[in-house]
Formats: sequence, C-alpha cells, structure tokens
Amino acid sequence: MKDLGALTRAVRNVSRRKIRVLLVVIALSFSMAIMISIPAGIIANQEATQSLSENYNSVISNMQEEINKTATLIECRTSFGRGMPEGMPSGAPPSGFGQEEVFVNEAVVDEIRSIEGVKDVVPFLETSSEETTSETISTPRGSFTISRPLYTITGVSLNSSFIDNYSVQPTNVTAGRNLYEGDSGVLLMSSNLSDYFGVGVDGEVEVYGEYFTVVGIYEPTGQALMGTRTVYLNISDAQRITGNVGNVSRIDVYAEDVSDVDGIAEVIEAAYSELYVTTYKDRLENLERMQEMYQTTLENAESTLSQTQAVAFQEIIIAIVATSLIVLFTMLYTVRERTKEIGILKAIGFSNWNVMSQFMLEGILMSLMAGVVGVVIGIVGAPIFSSLLLPHVSLFPTQQRGFPGQTVNPGMTLSQSVSVAPDPQTLLLAFGVAALLGALGSLYPAWRASRTSPMEALRYE
Amino acid sequence: MSELVLKTEKLDKIYKLGARQVRALSDVNLQVKKGDFISIMGPSGSGKTTLLNMLGYLDKPTYGKVILDGVDVTKVPEKGLFKIRKYRVGFVFQTFNLMPYLNAIENVELPMEGTKKSGDEKRKRARELLKMVGLSEREEHRPHRLSAGEQQRVAIARALANNPAIVLADEPTGNLDSKTGYEIVRLLGKLNIDQGTTIVMVTHDSHKAAHAGRMLFLSDGRLLTKEKEGTHLLKKELTCPYCGREIQPDDTFCPRCGKKL
Repeated sequence: MKDLGALTRAVRNVSRRKIRVLLVVIALSFSMAIMISIPAGIIANQEATQSLSENYNSVISNMQEEINKTATLIECRTSFGRGMPEGMPSGAPPSGFGQEEVFVNEAVVDEIRSIEGVKDVVPFLETSSEETTSETISTPRGSFTISRPLYTITGVSLNSSFIDNYSVQPTNVTAGRNLYEGDSGVLLMSSNLSDYFGVGVDGEVEVYGEYFTVVGIYEPTGQALMGTRTVYLNISDAQRITGNVGNVSRIDVYAEDVSDVDGIAEVIEAAYSELYVTTYKDRLENLERMQEMYQTTLENAESTLSQTQAVAFQEIIIAIVATSLIVLFTMLYTVRERTKEIGILKAIGFSNWNVMSQFMLEGILMSLMAGVVGVVIGIVGAPIFSSLLLPHVSLFPTQQRGFPGQTVNPGMTLSQSVSVAPDPQTLLLAFGVAALLGALGSLYPAWRASRTSPMEALRYE
Repeated sequence: MSELVLKTEKLDKIYKLGARQVRALSDVNLQVKKGDFISIMGPSGSGKTTLLNMLGYLDKPTYGKVILDGVDVTKVPEKGLFKIRKYRVGFVFQTFNLMPYLNAIENVELPMEGTKKSGDEKRKRARELLKMVGLSEREEHRPHRLSAGEQQRVAIARALANNPAIVLADEPTGNLDSKTGYEIVRLLGKLNIDQGTTIVMVTHDSHKAAHAGRMLFLSDGRLLTKEKEGTHLLKKELTCPYCGREIQPDDTFCPRCGKKL
C-alpha cells in the first residue's frame, strides 16, 4: 500500500512538469537508443565476419575437393579464363569485360585425343549472352558501374560417357532435371538467372533468337562466387545459335594417369599457342593464392571487428555516463526546486528512506519513460546509429588480382543488416538498464533530499 | 491535575551567525498538559517559531530537554525522530503547505503512509477528519481549487491524521483574512474542547491568542513568567477587557466603551 502511494505521487510529480520531462526523456531516449542499437551493430559485425569466414572456408574446401578429384584434368581454354578450375560450378565467365572471344576448330579435339597418355577429351563452347547488364558495385573506395554479359552460355558435349565419368554439368539441380544425352532445344539454368527472368521449369527462354525450354534449374555453389548467371545446353545447339559451328572454346583433357599430366600439357602448349593450359599444379597455386587472399581479408575483418568492439564499448560507457548525468542534474534541480516539499514531508513524519525512495522512484520512472521511447528509436534507428557510430567490416578481399571477371558478392552493406529485434529479452534488458541508470542518476539527489533538514527546508521559498 | 504531555527543561538555542552568536531561546521551561490549548505570543524575532520547531523536534536545542510523553526526545537518535513526528506531533503551518498535486483527502492520508492502516482504513479516517473540519464536500479538490481557509482546514485535518499527542500550529492564521482567521482559531478551539486535542499555537495576534486557554509571552527568547488565562471562545463568550461586555471576535474597538481592543 505504501509503495503504491509513493508511486502515485511519483507519477503525478513527473506528469506535473510535462515540458521538462519531455525534454529529458528525449535526451535520455537517444542515449538509450544508442545503448540498444550498438550491441546490435556489434552482433551484425560479428555475424558478417563469421559468414565471411564460413564462405571462404566453403569455397576453399570446394576447390580443394575439386582439385583432388580432377588431378588428371588438363584444362585448355581459348580466352583468358586461365586458372579457373573446371567444376567451379559458377566458374568464371570465359569472356566479358571487353575481352575478345577466341575459338579453336573442333579438329583440335581429335588431334589432342591422339596424344599419348590421353584418356578422354571433352569439348565445350563457352560464350557470352547477347544481353548485357550494368551493375553498380560499391566498394570502400567508392562505387563504380561495370557492364558485363547478362549470362554465360556453356555448350556441353552431351555424351553419356562424359556425363557419367566427368563433371561436365552442374551437380545440384534443384528443380526439373539435368541434361541428358541427345537433348536439344532445351537448357539448364542457374537459379539466379531463373529469378532474373522469372522463368521456371518448362518455361521458354530466347537465346540468340531461338527459343529453348527450361528443363532444370541448378543452384550455383560457393557463395562467394555467386552472381554469375549461366545456362547449360547441348554444344551443337550452342554452336548453331552463336554461329560457331565447328568451334570450341574450352577443351578438358583427361590423362590416363597423373604422371602423364605434365607431358601432355607440354605437348599441347607447344602445339597450340592459342590454348591456355592449366593443370592441377596451376590450380593448386591458384588455391594457395586464394587462401592467402582470403586469410588477409579475414584478418582485416577480424581486426575491424575488435576495433568495432572497442569503439562500441567506449560509446556505451559514454551513453551510460551521459544518461546518468542527465538524470543526476534533472533530479538535483528537481530536489532543489522541491526543497520545501521535502521539509513538509519530513515534518509530517516521512523518514529519510521514504523521502529518498520517493525521489529515486521519480528518477526511475523518468528513465523508464525514456526507455520506452529509446527502444522505439533504437529499433527504428539501429541501422543509422550503428553506421554512424561503428567502423565497418570490409567484405572485400583486399586484392582481386588473379581473378578477373570474378565478382565477390559485396553482399549487404553492414548497416542494412543491423536490426534490433523487439523481443522480450531486448525489451527487458533495455528497461532494466533504464531503471538501473535512473536509480544510479537519482541516487545522489535523492540522498541529498533525504538529508535536508526539515526546518531549513520549510524556511526555503 | 491532568497529565503532562510536553515539558521543556532549561531549553536554550544558540545560533551562530558567523562569529556572532544569537541566543534565540534562553532557559525556556514550558509545561503542556493534556487537553491544553496554549497560545504563545510575542513580537517577531522573539523566538516563537524556534520554540515550536524545538517542540516538534524539527530542530535541536543547544541545551536542555524536550520531554514528550515522558520520553526525552533530545536523546532519541536522528533515525527515530521521524516516528515521533509521524505519530506524536501534528503540524499546522502558516502557509498550509499542502501537496499541490494531491487532492484534499490524499493530503490528509499522506501522514498515514507507512502506518499499519490499510488503504480503506486510511480513507475512512481521512473522511472522518475532513468531515470534522467541515470539508466533506471538498474531498476530491486539489489545493488550488480550495480557498485559503479551506486549505488550512485540510492542513489541520492532516495534522490530526495519526491522532497525535500534540498539535503545533505556527501562525495558522497568518495568511488568512481576519474573518477566516477567526474561523480557523475557532475550529482549533472546537477540536480542543470536543476531541480533547492538545494544541500549542504561535501567533502575534493577541485577539486570536485570546481564544486559547492559556497565553504565554515570549520576549527575546525568554518565556515571561506572567501567564494569562485566555478568554476561551467556546468556554465563555468573548468579552471586552475594559467594560466586560460581550464583543464579536473580529471587533477592533469595543462597540460599548469604544476602547481599542
């Protein structure tokens, strides 16, 4: 009963000075909002760093696996896509960025097949779509726009022995089916292209003026390399529609044994200057470079994260001090203003504790109001606060050398991914902190109020 | 002889104003019996309020004792004093000092906060008290909607909330017009007679002081030895001290003999 009375009085006192309370609540609520949104920013940073490292790890391990599986593969490409191992599902576009496309005659395939130690030769035709797309990429050094082909066309030799023995097609088909031997007039499409066109399985797509039926959709693996859109179709279809009958742009050569690889590669390189040859050794080197680069990026991200945490810690301390000081000065002023009232309360028998708890209750009440407003501001403004107050984790590899045409998806800028969930835990924490700071800030003023001599207080006007 | 409620022994109060010492009270020996209505008179600066503060234990005497209901309050530790103020003493101030954000009945309930009474009991007691001071109709009004006299009535009701041994009134009519002032003094007198409330009232107005049963005079911090029987308004009608005829409380001159009262 006693506390209810004190609470009622606190509510009335607080509501008696609306403008002042409003101003104080606004000031306090910003501190509160900062306190709420900064941890959210930290969490977003941590998550970004973690997903970065997970992405990299998965990319690296995919590559590793691929290299192991394809130790006997000698990749021969006509254009610059040197170093990209076949089997990177979303692989590098073989051309683009203004690179001139070069093709070799199919006759080369048979010539290579006759080299000693060669087990199999699989020809591909990789080329760009007619449509191009402009993309704006923002980097820490500013944003720039690039124009590149909308998607890559990969013509595959749909020979069942190739399909069964070598990875000529994407493996993770999520809808429909993969390409079969003898398929014609149909294609397999990457999910990002399917989203872009809004076309599903059994839909029709126009490629170089001809209509193709979509028989399947696959999910590109290796998230860091997402963004390349690809269609797979029969090599003869690809040759016909792009006017490249008899031409190929990539030849996968499989050796009988790993020990034959170097010899075969030497022969091919000597005989065909227009072909760039890569073996598992190049791919391993490439992997090492990539690992190094990822490592650097990750280290940068981690150092940014620890920097962010230090900054956040300081900012939260400042917010806490600011909040307590606002409450402190407001309550000091209030106590001074109400000296006489304190005298009266003491004269009619209020104990020091009664007086003290009365003022503390008012301080806490005010902070709680600020807490409510602060939570709202915090939820709405969390992205703004954290982008203003926290350094960002860079999601960019520091060097992209060696990976032409490969865009590492910059993902979301961090501030967009910062969110404060209005879950009970956050709210409880926010109000707990508000109450605590209210109590902290009003402790001294309330103590001073309780120490006021009633006689002096009564004389005070 | 009725029992003693309050007694002071050789009460001294010395204020230090820089290097100078001011003796506000000097050797005050006062005895208040149960059911007394005492008025303490004296010019301003004579130490009236200081004495009242000592009696209500808002201030500490420099020397001497204040014995309330047999307990020497000068020996009560600081922390126990609020209980004495709460249960044993009721204060009525010159400026009423009601809480502006509480209505009449809540103001009366205020001293009962922290007592063992339940919410309903407090409300019931506050109602009784407001009825006693004639403000039953005004329970829900906040001070700014009450007249000065009504505010002082609420203050009196508040002073009585915990049934104190003694009510200390510091110039209770000082901020009221003459007519309302008499009403308030009459109310105090009525409470004194009907309820047996022990009252010590400080005033510089001899007419109002005269309503009390006893009048004491304070001069330069000393209680003058000559005490005067007040012409208690409710015990007997007010009479002119010169011709002995009946006069009205707010008369300034005796309507019979024309002398200044």
